[in-house]
Amino acid sequence: MATKDAPVTNPMIDPVTGEYRVIAPGHTFKSVTDKVSRIVLTTHTPLGWWFGFLVAGGFVCMLTTAVTWLFVKGVGIWAITIPVAWGFAIINFVWWIGIGHAGTLISAILLLFKQGWRNSINRFAEAMTIFAVMCAGMFPVLHLGRPWLGYWLFPYPNSMNYWPQFRSPLMWDVFAVSTYATISVVFWYMGMIPDLATMRDRAQSKFAQFMYGLVSLGWRGSVRHWVRYETASILLAGLATPLVLSVHSVISLDFAVAFMPGWHTTIFPPYFVAGAIYSGFAMVLTLAIPIRKFYHLEDLITIRHIDNCAKVMLATGMIVAYGYSSEVFMAWYSASHWEYFMMWNRMFGPMGWSYWTLITCNIALPQLMWVRKLRSNIGFMFLMSLIVNTGMWFERFVIVVTSLSRDFLPSSWGTYRATRWDYMTFAGTLGFFTFMFFLFIRFLPMIPMSELRLMLPGAKVREKAEPHSTGTPVPEAGD
Amino acid sequence: MGNTSFSKGLPSTLNAPPFVDNWRRKALIAGVVFAVIAVVLAFLGQGQDAQHLGWIHFWRGWLDGYVACFGFCFGGMALLMVQHLSGGKWGLIVRRPLEAMCRTWPMIVLMFLPVAWVGATDGRLYIWAQYSNWADALKKGLIDNDQAHAIRWKQPMLNVHNYWWFSLACLAILSFYSILLNKWSLQRDADPEPNVAYWRTKFENLSGFGVVLFAILLFGLVIYWVMSIDPTWYSTIYGFQYLVGEAFMVLPLAILTLIGLSKAEPIRSTFRVIEQHDLGKLCFALVMLNIYFAFGAFLIIWSGNSPEEIPWYLDRIRGGWGVIATLDVIFHWLIPFSLLLSRDLKRIQSKLTVACCVMIFAGFWDLFWLIEPSYRDAARDLRLSWGILEYVAVPAALFCFWLVYYFWQLTRRPLIPTNDPHLAEILEHDYVHA
Repeated sequence: MATKDAPVTNPMIDPVTGEYRVIAPGHTFKSVTDKVSRIVLTTHTPLGWWFGFLVAGGFVCMLTTAVTWLFVKGVGIWAITIPVAWGFAIINFVWWIGIGHAGTLISAILLLFKQGWRNSINRFAEAMTIFAVMCAGMFPVLHLGRPWLGYWLFPYPNSMNYWPQFRSPLMWDVFAVSTYATISVVFWYMGMIPDLATMRDRAQSKFAQFMYGLVSLGWRGSVRHWVRYETASILLAGLATPLVLSVHSVISLDFAVAFMPGWHTTIFPPYFVAGAIYSGFAMVLTLAIPIRKFYHLEDLITIRHIDNCAKVMLATGMIVAYGYSSEVFMAWYSASHWEYFMMWNRMFGPMGWSYWTLITCNIALPQLMWVRKLRSNIGFMFLMSLIVNTGMWFERFVIVVTSLSRDFLPSSWGTYRATRWDYMTFAGTLGFFTFMFFLFIRFLPMIPMSELRLMLPGAKVREKAEPHSTGTPVPEAGD
Repeated sequence: MGNTSFSKGLPSTLNAPPFVDNWRRKALIAGVVFAVIAVVLAFLGQGQDAQHLGWIHFWRGWLDGYVACFGFCFGGMALLMVQHLSGGKWGLIVRRPLEAMCRTWPMIVLMFLPVAWVGATDGRLYIWAQYSNWADALKKGLIDNDQAHAIRWKQPMLNVHNYWWFSLACLAILSFYSILLNKWSLQRDADPEPNVAYWRTKFENLSGFGVVLFAILLFGLVIYWVMSIDPTWYSTIYGFQYLVGEAFMVLPLAILTLIGLSKAEPIRSTFRVIEQHDLGKLCFALVMLNIYFAFGAFLIIWSGNSPEEIPWYLDRIRGGWGVIATLDVIFHWLIPFSLLLSRDLKRIQSKLTVACCVMIFAGFWDLFWLIEPSYRDAARDLRLSWGILEYVAVPAALFCFWLVYYFWQLTRRPLIPTNDPHLAEILEHDYVHA
């Protein structure tokens, strides 16, 4: 409950607004630059980094094994069969694409909304997007059965005069995801250029100077450079913003345009997008919380970031809950036997356990985030991020498996039980994602120094009081 | 706290300028004129059609206008709660217009009573109320099998008793919220100390739950009030579409109010180009969100092409309705999108006014397209008659009367809330943030 006279003793809380600070007090341009660049430019790689890197590398080896065996034997090693022709492959594809959405939202939409708090976490959220899209992209290609013919998905002049089926949303996926990946990479790289130049200028070894010099594209920090950089940032943010909505909407259409109970529903596009942002922010926390602890970045990635991510998760989680409720209600209101059975089967059918798992993870437990104190509890939020990501994976499992396994004709019903190769492939992509992330935090500045410096009190432009002001002076919120 | 980096002090007066009374008078005159026209049209329509639909159209027009006015009132409240949650300068400047909108709840409750009586109790607007004895109606050929099945199946929900009970309960809850938000806002102004953290937390706690509650209640209300006109049809996104549709009309009205008020203090010195630009961008986002929902639903239903769903669109495209549907896309998306795409336009008051007026008009147009073809006599058959003009006269009259109340509420409180941490920022000159 709000109280009027609670004394503010925590230095991380702004005494005027009562909100957590975005950056801990006392930082200067130099201290921010030192803190971030030291992580990359140090010659001493922490043992913890090596440990994590090797474990993740082990999982990458497992992925390689699973994929190699898949190439040798074919998709028969997976559990996919009729009627469940879309098993783990599509579940994992949708889950990974969803993870990536938070990065685009943080880097593009929050930039347009002028949300300064994004600055500490946008770089690694964008990196997370790129690695998540890489993991996602593997699944539909492997699911093709003959992945070496994956290029057939693209329209190109060919001797057979064949064109892709443009009326299929699976084709729309090809364009949506490839556009998304392209814009994300460009946005990420472009945003990093000023920091790469900082690394170039601070690097001690000739090789590092050369490499960072090469990738910083001759950045000198002149006014002209900054003007173009800002313009390009806004333009790319404008381009990326519709992608946040469009990519997962297109993926939702993979299901919604099919005439399958549980799939053919109009709320799917916004509910998929909300779910994607929900799981994406959960993954941001899963990564941010250990990183800030390991590299002692608590004063740059503060409780404010954790709290804001929790609020976004709460909001998007409520939209997802609205979607679930709407589906349940309309299953009854539709007066359709098929819709009614579909919902009954989801809840109480042979795979009902997966439905209640998703309800517990995505709706019931996240309600704890209404409690302000829990939102600022690091351990709790880390646990919650894992729970939400589990729940969002089960959401896709329920959509894909329960609908396909029991469609219109009882004679065609079947079941689904994933094989070890399914699990190995999924776990392998988790390892690949982590592996790439370890490389990223070791070789590139994971926090945008240039943007963070703009948030320091010294960067703020304030005009002086007008001598002719006649009205009542107004006090200003503290920085 | 005792920082001297502010640039301007608060204007000497924070109250609404006297010309708001003129707006009120003009709205009242327009309302009376439209009301007279509506009654005349009802009589003309009654004699024109073989089915004597003159007064029926009057009440359908009332439903259209009522749903719009409900959106202005409680949609305004929803946006108010969103700005309490999101914070930011844009919220500070629109707060008082939004508070004034949601203080019009007594009028919304009053407007509901006749339409509920005629529509549900008398059964003139809802087929499920008219033919609650579905078996008898089916035997007489008044309804078809699909309608009979839907009425029978949904009877636990779609009955006159529940319609009244649910609607009044929702209106009571929403009105209570409106009272609380407005009361606390006044108390915050009167607080001798800023107590920013205390008030922020208090408003956040109320608004967080309030937004969720509003979304749930609106979902139920639009099913009762609009979707159930055709009980055979259903769509899971319907509640969402109305949620965004309300914001699509509320925000432009708030901007128009601010532009109008900016001719004098206190808004003249506080409504800066930068906030105007931000609000214009928010409008643009709503335009995109609105078309995204509408097109998504259309694409899914069209591609499904199932006999349970597709008639809803066919009823609204065939028989002359295609013109209305096309214009709906033009008003709802093409014009505001093209206008609001321009950065300069969002910063010029006269041009932003045009965009906002188009958006409000599009909202009414869309409601006409949503409501009228749901009736069997109008589905796939757009008949131009005196009665159909009720969709102009009655909503216009209701909207004008609502505006009278809204303008009156606007004059009852200072237009700038104090004790807000963003106040210092909106008192800075434009170029500080340019």
